[in-house]
Amino acid sequence: MSQPAEHVAGNIYDLGYQRYGGVRLGRRHAVLAVYVQSLRSAFGLGRRTSSKIIPMGLAIVVLIPASIQLGIAAIAPGDVELIKFENYLGFVEIILALFCAAVAPELLGRDQRTNTLSLYFSRALLRRDYALAKFGALVSAMLVVTLGPLVLLFAGNALGSDDSLDYLKNNADQVLPIVASTAMLSIFFASLGLAVAAQTPRRAFATGGVLALFVVSSSFVSIMVNAASEDYSRYLPLVSPFHLVRGFTFFFFQASFQSGTGGVGGDLYIVDLPGAVYALATLGITAVAAALLLRRYERIAA
Amino acid sequence: MPLLETHELTKRYGSAVTALDSLSLNLDPGVIGLVGANGAGKSTLLKILLGLIAPTSGSATLLGFDVLRQGPELRQFVGYMPEHDCLPTDMTATDFVAHMAQVSGLPRTAARERTAETLRHVGLFEERYREMRGYSTGMKQRVKLAQALVHDPRVMLLDEPTNGLDPAGRDEMLDLVHRTGAEFGIAIVMSSHLLGEIERVCDHLVVIGNGRLVRSDAIATFTARTQVLAVEVESSADRVAARLRDKGLRVIEEGRTLLIGLEDDRPYDLIRDAVVDIGVGLVRIEQRRQSLEDLFRPPRPEESDVAAS
Repeated sequence: MSQPAEHVAGNIYDLGYQRYGGVRLGRRHAVLAVYVQSLRSAFGLGRRTSSKIIPMGLAIVVLIPASIQLGIAAIAPGDVELIKFENYLGFVEIILALFCAAVAPELLGRDQRTNTLSLYFSRALLRRDYALAKFGALVSAMLVVTLGPLVLLFAGNALGSDDSLDYLKNNADQVLPIVASTAMLSIFFASLGLAVAAQTPRRAFATGGVLALFVVSSSFVSIMVNAASEDYSRYLPLVSPFHLVRGFTFFFFQASFQSGTGGVGGDLYIVDLPGAVYALATLGITAVAAALLLRRYERIAA
Repeated sequence: MPLLETHELTKRYGSAVTALDSLSLNLDPGVIGLVGANGAGKSTLLKILLGLIAPTSGSATLLGFDVLRQGPELRQFVGYMPEHDCLPTDMTATDFVAHMAQVSGLPRTAARERTAETLRHVGLFEERYREMRGYSTGMKQRVKLAQALVHDPRVMLLDEPTNGLDPAGRDEMLDLVHRTGAEFGIAIVMSSHLLGEIERVCDHLVVIGNGRLVRSDAIATFTARTQVLAVEVESSADRVAARLRDKGLRVIEEGRTLLIGLEDDRPYDLIRDAVVDIGVGLVRIEQRRQSLEDLFRPPRPEESDVAAS
């Protein structure tokens, strides 16, 4: 007890290393560890403050429309419904695209840039496990920013209405479409974002590539749908993520597009495809993008 | 159970480059040095054992696990320290090493406890709570060693662990590696192109060149003493040499040093008598020890002549 501090520190140093006789949880635990770590770093948790600003900021911005609706509902009695559930995702689609474009390169690019892949791949998992853990992490992160605002809107509407129980009863049929559309969007955007981001360790290129994929395809399709009268242009929305999201969301909510609204909704009114087509096309593209991601990680040098 | 077995292991890149050429090895646990020139295939062998690259043909087992088919199970018990930089700059050493321990299969709490112990073992103290971007090369090498050790592997594969270190850092790293192998019984396969390092740390040496096995033996057999006595005298080396030749010894003069073939104990007495008779000072008599460096140097013809008979 009366030993000088240095001496004590020396003893600790000598104790140092010891053998480990405890359990080893193997591959599943390894994949889970990568998933948790990636989900945390998607929002910059466990990183410096500057890494938190963009993802946290976007996660807050995406809540603003729901908050405004709730604020108005709280002040003005009665049913003032500014935003319907089926319109919310379309309303914030550019924010969701920005979030995906910011986070996907964060999840994949860092390990490529710093050569950390060789440490992961020499541990208790397979290359595809790593890629799937990253995929799961981005899907979860996307769910936070898609499902989150809709849950807020739903709960707020219920609390703000005169009879909360009555609101829940009347709107129970909205729950399934909310979950289905946000889940599909999250998986869809995550697969696209990661498939693009996996191709380059350079963050700027990856972010630009993901954004371009969303914005350029959407603009191109809008122009073509409105300008061209050829029959093939009817199917062009099936290559634009924004159009697909609007399409399958309305399909899940069994809502219909109005004429003259302009933008993505207007385009879809013009082409007038059956709603299920959007859902199927989305599933197809998601499968291709996920396959590209896995293939890239089978081959990437480590 | 052997630590490591390879059978006709071959790795080709395209048709032009052959990194490993039918390499067959059988090694028992210990501290094993892997030596060869740059491009000899050291890193390729390590990466195949880790499942980082697939061999073109052949098979390999490590700790009794098939490296191709049982990768995740095997790698719970394997630590790898790559040659290159591999640390994320914006994490702390503690967070990173604890994460890596979990990816090796350790539960969360065990991972954190062992991270603290392991970082202390490699000599990283308060710095471990700082982001790694500011670390010196020596500190980075310590973190790299720590992440290879944190899950208490049965074997560690170290690729040029002293790369980029200054002489003091090099000594400390070799000492750490040596202690880890000797005191904790963790098998080590360590590649290096510096023979002196291997000689200090390892008890078994594997030499590969052009992807083929050149030699695999205990270090002791590599460094066996050669049967040559080196005798240094103050002056009159030629007269001493002549006297010894008269007595029937084979002698070669190298300035003031005489190299004398040693078949039995007889030369010691003859040398003593010769220097006393002639009256010159004897500086030293030593058995020439063959160092590992000599293996890779063409033998000096006269010296091998002397030893030959």
